Amino acid sequence: MSSVTEMPVSAAAATRPLPKRRGRSNNRPLLLLLLGPAAVLIVLFIVGPALYGMYLSFTNTQLTGFAARDPKFVGLDNYVYLLNNADFLGSLGHTGEFVLYSAIIGQTVLGMLAAILLSRPWMRGKGIIGAAVLMPMIVPEVVASLTWASVLSNNSSGTLNQLTGIFGVPPTAWLQVVPMASIIVVNIWRGIAFAMIMFQAALEDVPVELIEAARIDGARAMQVFRHVTLPLIRGPVFLYLLLTTISTVGAFGLVYFLTQGGPGGQTQLAAIYIYERALQFSQVGIGSAASMILLVIVLVLGSVYLRLAKVEV
Amino acid sequence: MTTLANRAASPQTAAPVRHTRRRRLTAIDLVQRVLGYTLIVMLALFCLVPFAWVVLSAVDANAGPNVQWPTVSIENFVNFFTNSGTPLLLLNSLIIGIGATALNLVLGLAGGYALARFQFPGRRMFMFSILLIRVIPAPATIVALYLILVKLNLTNSLWGLILVEAVLQLPVTLWLLKGTISAVPIELEEAAWVDGSSRFQAIWRIVLPLAGPGLGAAAMLTFLGVWGDFLTPLVMLQRQELYPLSIGLFRAFSEHNQVDWGLLAASAIVYVAPPAVLYVFVRKHLLHSSLGGAIKG
Repeated sequence: MSSVTEMPVSAAAATRPLPKRRGRSNNRPLLLLLLGPAAVLIVLFIVGPALYGMYLSFTNTQLTGFAARDPKFVGLDNYVYLLNNADFLGSLGHTGEFVLYSAIIGQTVLGMLAAILLSRPWMRGKGIIGAAVLMPMIVPEVVASLTWASVLSNNSSGTLNQLTGIFGVPPTAWLQVVPMASIIVVNIWRGIAFAMIMFQAALEDVPVELIEAARIDGARAMQVFRHVTLPLIRGPVFLYLLLTTISTVGAFGLVYFLTQGGPGGQTQLAAIYIYERALQFSQVGIGSAASMILLVIVLVLGSVYLRLAKVEV
Repeated sequence: MTTLANRAASPQTAAPVRHTRRRRLTAIDLVQRVLGYTLIVMLALFCLVPFAWVVLSAVDANAGPNVQWPTVSIENFVNFFTNSGTPLLLLNSLIIGIGATALNLVLGLAGGYALARFQFPGRRMFMFSILLIRVIPAPATIVALYLILVKLNLTNSLWGLILVEAVLQLPVTLWLLKGTISAVPIELEEAAWVDGSSRFQAIWRIVLPLAGPGLGAAAMLTFLGVWGDFLTPLVMLQRQELYPLSIGLFRAFSEHNQVDWGLLAASAIVYVAPPAVLYVFVRKHLLHSSLGGAIKG
């Protein structure tokens, strides 16, 4: 509670004298009127589903069929089923692979590269290049998917096949032959801008004097980055990793549009598994249990990142 | 003479020094710069080339599924606005986007004012809780949300979708507006009370105009989030006449046998236009909300 004073919001100081000056009792109805609707709706549509999902995961609820009329409490059956189910474990593996290569490696490396290059004083055309990198993030995910559907198109005049054709490579059905690699590239493409923005903000806060001092001492550019810059921006980097991991674990539209989990389940991410189980095969109980497992994984990852970043909350 | 000579000489001596220093730097960094430009240009191309098909096909009268040199015409856009189905997609998207944004702002402004101006037990708890909510991936709660909405009879209705979308964006709006309103000095409001304004009049005349930038940022972030959402309308709406552009585009693309590629590309351009225009205004605020919102927690 003492940390109120640590809040960066400058106005914290402005509001602090307020409660002492005014009686509290007459504010109760006004407070309820103002904050009540927002609080009730958040509980109903955000907190409610999370708790209800937890309850559903212990039942055999179905949308249609016999069990739909009379759902029963089945204990941990759904969890036992899922943890022995190759499809579900596979979908977790695909999500892990997807997050690792697209978010943690691809977006981070390319976003950092873009942020560093655009922070060089000699770089010209920063505005145009920055805008180009931002484009994939601005467009809605349906349009992003649509553009890549044409790039990865399997016939010989798909954009990528036309490009590789220049080098004499025969046309390839990219989404059939290398589906996982394809959606990883698509997701990297979509996320570079967010990484770049986060890292640009972090790099601006690194004192120039430290870098210059290291250069004078004879350190090469890579050494400066590794031993001076990187430790200084460690907090924002882990924060970024946290945010991108959360959003990538929840990635649905981009992949569903392109592959619908196929071919042969090779791109079936956990999010797609949940959607299909619950809303297409109408096994809500199993879908909810899968959601809970996914949620626990995200929370564990989140706390690990926060620990590594030494962020003081 | 000496001073003249000195004056004439000093720039000369200074110039070579500067010159050599620049040349030395260039020699060291030339490779680095060439490499840097090559990498950044390749990165920019990687980001832009996928858009080639959408942009070229939208203005191509004979558009196909692949990149080709267009027969330039605006026929596809004319088709988009005169077809029986497509204008309705745009209308639904606008109704959902604007409706949800308006509702979100009303709820967020009232809640944000309460959080900024009142000290009550559980206030910080509430702020942290709604921040924590952002950790939950959307697909993890969509099933239970759907069942709750079925029970409340809110599926297959634009009103239901507006309500849900407004609430899903509410945590961010509350944080943003709480911060903005806290920055408005309470003394200004108190002066208005002394002058005989009621509490709500003071909010309307004093707080609202001063909270303008934060309000604008919240409005645009909400609109962008709602406009781009795919999963929620996909789950909530099954009736074709209610589809927004996101679902309409997905369905049109999925009908593999009879896709009107030019129309599809034109629809995509129409769908991209509002976020692209709005984005120019929110670039800075977007950064603050994603970074600041998380750090403050």
